[in-house]
Amino acid sequence: MLTVKNLNSGYGKLQVLYDLNIEVPEKGLTVVVGPNGAGKTTLLCSIMNIATVFSGEITFGGEPLTGVVTHKLAQKGISYVPQMGNVFAELTVLDNLHMAGYMLSKAEANDKAAQMTEIFPVLKKFIHRLAGTLSGGERRMLAIAMGLMKNPKLMLLDELSTDLAPIIAERVMVEVARMRDELGITILMVEQMARRALEIGDTAYLLVSGEVRYSGQADSLLHEPELCSMYLGIKQTAGKGGSAKLSVSDEGSENS
Amino acid sequence: MITNESPGGKIKGLFSNRIVFVLAVILAFLAFLYFSRGISIILTILIQVTIFSIITMSLNLESGYAGIPQFGRVAAVIAGAFAVGAIPGRIMAAFMGLPAGAEYASDTVNFKLVPEINALLASSWLVSLGFLIMCLVLAALSGALIGWLISRPAIRLKEGYLGISMLAIGDFFMWVGHNWNIIVGGSTPVNVPDPFRVFGTDRFTVIVPVFFVIAILIFIYLNKLTQSPFGRNLRMLRDNDLSANAAGLNIVKVRTQALVIGAAIAAIGGGLYVIYTGSVAAIGLTRLTFTFWPWAYMMLGGIGSNIGVFLGVFLLTILRTMIIIFRSTWFGFLLQVGIDPLWLEYTLLGAVIIIVILFMPHGLVPEKIAPMLPSKRIKKVLADRQAVSK
Amino acid sequence: MAPWMSSGLIYASGLAMTAGSITLLYIVTRTFNFAVASMATIGFIVVYTGVSLYGGLPYQYYPFVLIIGAITGVICYYGLNRPLLYRKAAETTLMMSTLGYDLILLSLIQMYSDYLTYTFKLFPRRVTMSVFDFELYGESAATFILPITAIACLTILHFFLTKTKFGIAMRATIENPTLAGASGINSDRVYLVSWIISGSMAALGGSFMAMAMTGTPVMGMVTIPLMFAGAILGGLGNIYGGILGGMVIGLTEYAGVYFLAKQFGPWILGYRMGIPLFIMAATLLVFPRGLSGIPLGKIIKNLFGQKRGASA
Ligand SMILES: Nc1ncnc2c1ncn2[C@@H]1O[C@H](COP(=O)(O)OP(=O)(O)OP(=O)(O)O)[C@@H](O)[C@H]1O
Ligand SMILES: [Mg+2]
Repeated sequence: MLTVKNLNSGYGKLQVLYDLNIEVPEKGLTVVVGPNGAGKTTLLCSIMNIATVFSGEITFGGEPLTGVVTHKLAQKGISYVPQMGNVFAELTVLDNLHMAGYMLSKAEANDKAAQMTEIFPVLKKFIHRLAGTLSGGERRMLAIAMGLMKNPKLMLLDELSTDLAPIIAERVMVEVARMRDELGITILMVEQMARRALEIGDTAYLLVSGEVRYSGQADSLLHEPELCSMYLGIKQTAGKGGSAKLSVSDEGSENS
Repeated sequence: MITNESPGGKIKGLFSNRIVFVLAVILAFLAFLYFSRGISIILTILIQVTIFSIITMSLNLESGYAGIPQFGRVAAVIAGAFAVGAIPGRIMAAFMGLPAGAEYASDTVNFKLVPEINALLASSWLVSLGFLIMCLVLAALSGALIGWLISRPAIRLKEGYLGISMLAIGDFFMWVGHNWNIIVGGSTPVNVPDPFRVFGTDRFTVIVPVFFVIAILIFIYLNKLTQSPFGRNLRMLRDNDLSANAAGLNIVKVRTQALVIGAAIAAIGGGLYVIYTGSVAAIGLTRLTFTFWPWAYMMLGGIGSNIGVFLGVFLLTILRTMIIIFRSTWFGFLLQVGIDPLWLEYTLLGAVIIIVILFMPHGLVPEKIAPMLPSKRIKKVLADRQAVSK
Repeated sequence: MAPWMSSGLIYASGLAMTAGSITLLYIVTRTFNFAVASMATIGFIVVYTGVSLYGGLPYQYYPFVLIIGAITGVICYYGLNRPLLYRKAAETTLMMSTLGYDLILLSLIQMYSDYLTYTFKLFPRRVTMSVFDFELYGESAATFILPITAIACLTILHFFLTKTKFGIAMRATIENPTLAGASGINSDRVYLVSWIISGSMAALGGSFMAMAMTGTPVMGMVTIPLMFAGAILGGLGNIYGGILGGMVIGLTEYAGVYFLAKQFGPWILGYRMGIPLFIMAATLLVFPRGLSGIPLGKIIKNLFGQKRGASA
């Protein structure tokens, strides 16, 4: 559904991504993992035309996206939940939801916002509070709800689990899997909780220093002990029998 | 191995071509003016070019090299103009036993005093030279002082805030001079003793080379300065505050130095200006003439390039002069509805700024960052290294 | 009312509008708008042309002031600011570009003034606008009308920014342009509207100020440092701060000059510009982020013993 071909991009004159090729299949959950500074966020920013694209091709359902201004991308049904600054801190929760559904009509937006408060009951409680006064976890919820507001075909999620208590993070992962299974949304997810993300994901890419180091089935990446321990901080313990047992040593650290 | 040379040479050639072209245009204009209006207009243009080159070079040091948004250039110019208007005349008056206190600047006394001083100056070129040097030193000192004073609170402000604060300070200076009679006579201009009186009718003909020499000396000094490690620090500051800080650069100190040196040079420009015009009218030292025009000169010439500054000043000064002298012949259609074509000077200024920003952000002569070492030395170092590695 | 108070209030209302205009544009586009100077003068010129050619009260020409101010803003946005914003130009470049625009406007204003003099025998170079005003309770009517108009404009602006979808989108863009873009908000539209609002505010502010000071083609050019002082005093963080800053600058100038002149003699009048600049410097020393940096909300909450929300 989303295809990235030979992408070279960065910020201003600084190049971050080199000849990247990524394929996001429809209704699938594609996971991008990699150490800090690998360029994962830059990849999403390039798709959203926020970073500078030097060369390469990005197509969405056959339609070229390169050079399309950001707000038009939103109208095409792509929603992006950034890693940082993913809510409007100075607006109320309700206004945040309405802004996220900016292209919807008033009635549609109200419906959708009501739907979101049902999925995320926390938001209902705080509906008139400023988003800046929410806790980190509540903010993530709001950010996800905002991502869902505009009935997206494709969602770009950047490190949803950061800042979250392990239990909540797990809930968010389940939620993401449900979005794919029940709502049929295509998802491109960047995640530092690599093990969990790879477990629920369909395809996976390992990004290191702006280049793809691995691509293929998500769970098979877990069977690459070298890559896992080198870049993802996943240590393989001697498991019993066939399926490897994994333990997470340190989420999201840049081990070498 | 050494590939730096050939593209460098090519670029150099391109630059000098552009410079030659602009110079040719300037000469063509000058020739035209000479044949249609005579030599005096050429002299006026040349004098203005030297004065504004000095002021704009100082601006270039602060804004072009150091990246400080100096929107208060006029403050230092005023400092120099006031110093030359207020102090050297008083010193001479005191020597000659004339009133030198507050009454020196009063309109009923000043116009009688200054001719007496002028008579003394006209009697000997040595005294005149001494007087000129005294003027310049005083201007530079007061400029440096003002630059330092302004730098104290201002230096820690961010980009825009800094620019606006400087703009306000410059205006405030003008109002102080306009209202405080004892400096330069307030609203009635004070006369400045004329160190070029010795030359009688050749006054302008002599002023041109003298001012030119001063400008050239400042040019050489600034070139030396900007190619020294200090200049590299300035550019580093401009290009990236953060990394400059990380590299252990004392930002406040470097910026203060730039502001003080820049202000001293601008003040020399202000001093020369009032020596040339022969009087100091505070209300005439506006931010339009001494801040905004220099900005336009610098932007057109090329931020960070003093050769460019010179070309920018020259070209625009000629255009300004042409608007003034040909206003009735070329812009008669405006006069017919009662509009003074002199306002076109503002239009020109605004248009130059806009056109440069939109279409030629690097100006006529883009900044060329010379390596710290001469290219021969670099070649040698590289060759030595290669020899060692083999 | 003391004599300084009446004209001070009028002047301060005008300065508040211009400072608000500067602040609005700065927080949306990072542009310090020099052209506010000429936009303000245009406000005066429009009203002056109206009352002297067609008669009536100055106030009835305010709609034209708003429209022409907005047009000058739109021209600047499309001609200058937009290409530079797309180019991600530096703050100083943005500022310089508006200076160029300001100078062109200034030259046009000057030419227009010449034209008025030549064709209609009007002299816009030294105008006391208050002669066109009427009297109300022994004061010139402007003393009441202008502050009220200013407050009304503010209320409308506040309503627009907090209650309408586009206004909220504007605030969203100010806070987080990236996320706003990703949400489908067209930032281009937001910038355009902010230029429209800020252009009309500046022009209206200028026409207010002309009711208290001598109207000239350079009145904006002369008072621009004070407009900026107001905006900076307000902290450049939110529009209300800027408006408050302009108000404070205007009132202190008039009050300060009045009382100081009473104390030390009329020579102080010449240094009147120093008073607001001194106030600005002093405030910035105590509150480096200006008036809006004063944690009013916190103070009030502490006073009433409310518990604070988990602020970010
Ligand atoms: N706005 C920016 N301007 C310039 N360089 C940037 C910018 N954002 C990121 N970079 C640089 O680009 C590189 C890649 O950054 P990116 O944010 O894509 O990494 P990431 O893979 O998302 O890392 P993390 O896991 O820490 O979020 C880094 O070296 C970073 O310093
Ligand atoms: Mg990231």
